[in-house]
Amino acid sequence: MSCYTSGGHWAWGGDPAGIGHAPEGLHGRFPGPQKQKRSGCSQKRSFVRERSQGTAADPAGEALHVAGAPHAPGPGTDTAPAAGRPGIRPHTFTLSVPFPTPLEAEVALGSLAPDAEPHQRVVGKDLTVSGSVLAVHWKAEDCRLLRISIINFLDQLSLVVRTMQRFGPPFPTEPGLEKGADV
Amino acid sequence: MARCWRTRGGLTSRPRAQVRFLPGDTARHHRAVILDLLQEALTEAGLTSQDIDCIAYTKGPGMGAPLASVAVVARTVAQLWNKPLLGVNHCIGHIEMGRLITGATSPTVLYVSGGNTQVIAYSEHRYRIFGETIDIAVGNCLDRFARVLKISNDPSPGYNIEQMAKRGKKLVELPYTVKGMDVSFSGILSFIEDVAQRMLATGECTPEDLCFSLQETVFAMLVEITERAMAHCGSQEALIVGGVGCNIRLQEMMATMCQERGAQLFATDERFCIDNGAMIAQAGWEMFQAGHRTPLSDSGITQRYRTDEVEVTWRD
Repeated sequence: MSCYTSGGHWAWGGDPAGIGHAPEGLHGRFPGPQKQKRSGCSQKRSFVRERSQGTAADPAGEALHVAGAPHAPGPGTDTAPAAGRPGIRPHTFTLSVPFPTPLEAEVALGSLAPDAEPHQRVVGKDLTVSGSVLAVHWKAEDCRLLRISIINFLDQLSLVVRTMQRFGPPFPTEPGLEKGADV
Repeated sequence: MARCWRTRGGLTSRPRAQVRFLPGDTARHHRAVILDLLQEALTEAGLTSQDIDCIAYTKGPGMGAPLASVAVVARTVAQLWNKPLLGVNHCIGHIEMGRLITGATSPTVLYVSGGNTQVIAYSEHRYRIFGETIDIAVGNCLDRFARVLKISNDPSPGYNIEQMAKRGKKLVELPYTVKGMDVSFSGILSFIEDVAQRMLATGECTPEDLCFSLQETVFAMLVEITERAMAHCGSQEALIVGGVGCNIRLQEMMATMCQERGAQLFATDERFCIDNGAMIAQAGWEMFQAGHRTPLSDSGITQRYRTDEVEVTWRD
């Protein structure tokens, strides 16, 4: 269970089993799982409660993920997505899109990679090409924003594919000519 | 959205599809029509992809989802056809189209639309912002007022306010909020939203009077800050661009001010005032000729993109 506090995003440290027990030494400040819900959060704020997907260690999905109102990060925390923070199990999603040729996969990458995610602190994605496959890997702290990002990406991907079908195939690039260089 | 091909000598094709302004809906609309529009533009201009020199698209400012929908298509065709890509600033698109169509050489520009209100003048390779709204755009103020009075959106709220204003007889006093070189509209909007219901209920004024009063007030404010910038620059030309620039009353008031100063007013009609792809093509063309290129890695759209961020290397 994680809880937002005024000092920054805080979570149980070292929770590899995903059971949600509080580490020792922290019981005085934050409630243990048996006292969950909102009693430990000292500040009233509006937030959206999301249930994370059930995992092998937590099949009923009992561990609550609480997305808090925006706040300044506390000392020692950064604003990178949750993957960089100990103890947080980020939600992940991977998409593999096969293309007819490596060149077309690269074109799709070139079209889809440049636009930044709207909620960069919470949702991040990486795009890579290997062979003819475009692979997209998401990491997110928040399920709802993750879902929105995936759906938007699929809409954009569909548009790119339709564009390639309608106005492709790609002209072969001249060797030594970089995309974006003077022609 | 619209597409346009700019060839030496002028614009060749401008098919258009109209849209409402909720970001998600707008993006969906763009995705649905863009490929047909692109094909239509090529066909109408009698061109193939080989004939194209470069691909210009709107990098920003604007609403994220619609901008991204168009940008991915621009990037895709630029890669498919091996053409350079130019990410264009929307405001500069308006300015360059205004200059092309009217022939104004170095005007003080009043850029007024639903999303932007700026007074701009060119100096040393930048379009400098001399004054702007500190809150909402004037077009936004007019559109939201239209909603309060339940004025129709067809063809546009601003157009309908303009027609109703012509029948207004009484000037209702509204706050006049010029702040130095800048203007503010959200206070006027709140005020008129409050008084409208009260005064209409008591019959103190008609909706036409309110339309008239709002236009007279906000347009006078815009004329004032434009004049201030012209005085500062010693400018003899004024150019109005942006959707609100279609408004004839605004053009009249600006013309009066220009006449008093011995300056010349330039304005366009609704084909070029309102957002269009042609203006992006025009600005993109200027940029391309001056050697600008937008590498893919730099081609991301951005909702905030200041007019003065661009180095205007195509002018002296």
